[in-house]
Amino acid sequence: MRVVISHDGDVVTARQVGREMAKQSGFYGSDLTLIATAISEIARNIVSYAQSGELVFSLLEQGARRGLMVVARDEGPGIPDIELAMRDGFSTGRSLGLGLPGAKRLMDEFEIQSEIGKGTTITMRKWAR
Amino acid sequence: MGDEPRESSRLKLTDREIERRLRFVDLRSEDLEHIASIRQLVADRAENYATAFFDYLSKIEEAAPLFGNRTVLEQARAGKREHLNGMLSGKYDRAYVEQRIKLATLYGRVGLETRVFLGAFHHMLHVIGLDIIRALGREGLERATECVMSLEKVGFFDLGLMIDVLIDERERVIGLQQAAIRELSTPALQVRDRLLILPIIGVLDSQRAKQLTDNLLHAIRANRAKVVVMDITGVAAVDSKVANHLIQTVAAAKLMGAAVIVTGLSAEVAQSLVALGVDLSKLNTVGDLQGGLEEADRILGYSLQRI
Amino acid sequence: MPVPILKQGDTLIVSVQAALTDRDLIDLKNELAEKVGQYRSKGVVIDVSLLDVMDSFATRTLRGIAQTTKLRGANTVIVGIQPDVAFAMVQLGLALEGVDTALDLDEGMELLNRRFGKGELGGG
Repeated sequence: MRVVISHDGDVVTARQVGREMAKQSGFYGSDLTLIATAISEIARNIVSYAQSGELVFSLLEQGARRGLMVVARDEGPGIPDIELAMRDGFSTGRSLGLGLPGAKRLMDEFEIQSEIGKGTTITMRKWAR
Repeated sequence: MGDEPRESSRLKLTDREIERRLRFVDLRSEDLEHIASIRQLVADRAENYATAFFDYLSKIEEAAPLFGNRTVLEQARAGKREHLNGMLSGKYDRAYVEQRIKLATLYGRVGLETRVFLGAFHHMLHVIGLDIIRALGREGLERATECVMSLEKVGFFDLGLMIDVLIDERERVIGLQQAAIRELSTPALQVRDRLLILPIIGVLDSQRAKQLTDNLLHAIRANRAKVVVMDITGVAAVDSKVANHLIQTVAAAKLMGAAVIVTGLSAEVAQSLVALGVDLSKLNTVGDLQGGLEEADRILGYSLQRI
Repeated sequence: MPVPILKQGDTLIVSVQAALTDRDLIDLKNELAEKVGQYRSKGVVIDVSLLDVMDSFATRTLRGIAQTTKLRGANTVIVGIQPDVAFAMVQLGLALEGVDTALDLDEGMELLNRRFGKGELGGG
């Protein structure tokens, strides 16, 4: 399931699609909100910094375990210092505002690849308990 | 008392997953040929093999739950016969897998242990294997071995499914137990109008802290609480991680308009937390529960002034 | 999609709908700033109980609204943050520092009266 992100209205769409797919994966209750929030942050980054990109949602199955995978891709400017961007500013109340460390906290698995001038790919996974 | 499993197993396999599992056991077209060649032989004696399986189990004490319920036992026997026919059919598709999962779920629900099942399953394959070798005689020994090997591949395919279902069932039960324990151990008590008391006892790990916060926030909404007195006297080890969980809980409650008073944080622990760099300024701490309740009254008292 | 702003005496009340776009939120900020000035409102209550997600942008914007209206002489209180949303916000590290929050509309009005009002709802 693919959602193209090109303007801020798409962020809402991405959230809604993500929430639906999370339900199909067996998530319920507050987990749905956590997932939708992480999606919102990542989708918004695409709008703010890359102008356009896409979010791809897939249902995960590993034996009896089920989950959701979200891959966010853009061909934007890339993130110069990934380590800095991922630094958890939570305790100091100060972060780069990219919402990345926060999104990572909300999900179980989080990988980010970025190349200056080429773009960024973020892969997130969450498993239903 | 027929105890039909109310829901099917949570294990859901796509066609692709099934194909992958068949590849794991390296099931090839030669194997299908071998199996086809012994199909009649095994089908004729299917009843014996199913019986062998259950006789073996009946001698094992841990398998008693399976025999305790007549309906379940009937279902299991029927399922076993169906399964044997399926194993020989050469068709290991969604229908076959679903039948396997259904049978495994049945075993899981009566609490049949994996290790016990494995013993019986192996015994059954062993008996079948011996029959095949006997039937094909000395000249056909090589072929007999190949046929047994092919059947074993299918057997291992089955085991993969079986074990996953049993594990999942085990985890499901554990999950339910843990949820029940969490519910019991972190109730938010409403003592007075707009006031909640939350005594926390035991170890506060991330999972539990999350549950606790979730419960509290919903309780705040349900009870329209303005003040929460969170007593941590009974929390086992208050380290910086626990402290951060508490700070997060307080912050979330504040977003819902509720003030949280933390009681039971000893001066020593507070000092060591501060030394570790934890910012306790976000917490409103009072020595003991009594003091906390008085502070709560004070906070609530302000809103009662308005006539 | 414009967000309706209601006036109740000295207070402006806004109920934020679920599928609000970023543009809508920014428009709301401007609308409120204008109306606060126009009616000389003392308080603003923003009800977000219909919001299923509060991300960093929404949080920043709401904080911005509180600051803007403050400059025009009105105090803002955010009400109705849902349990799941509050939880997610805190996990994400979002804090509405410096902005008052309350459980619901009633509590919000009461808070405004208690802190800034003369002890009377509505009036004028």
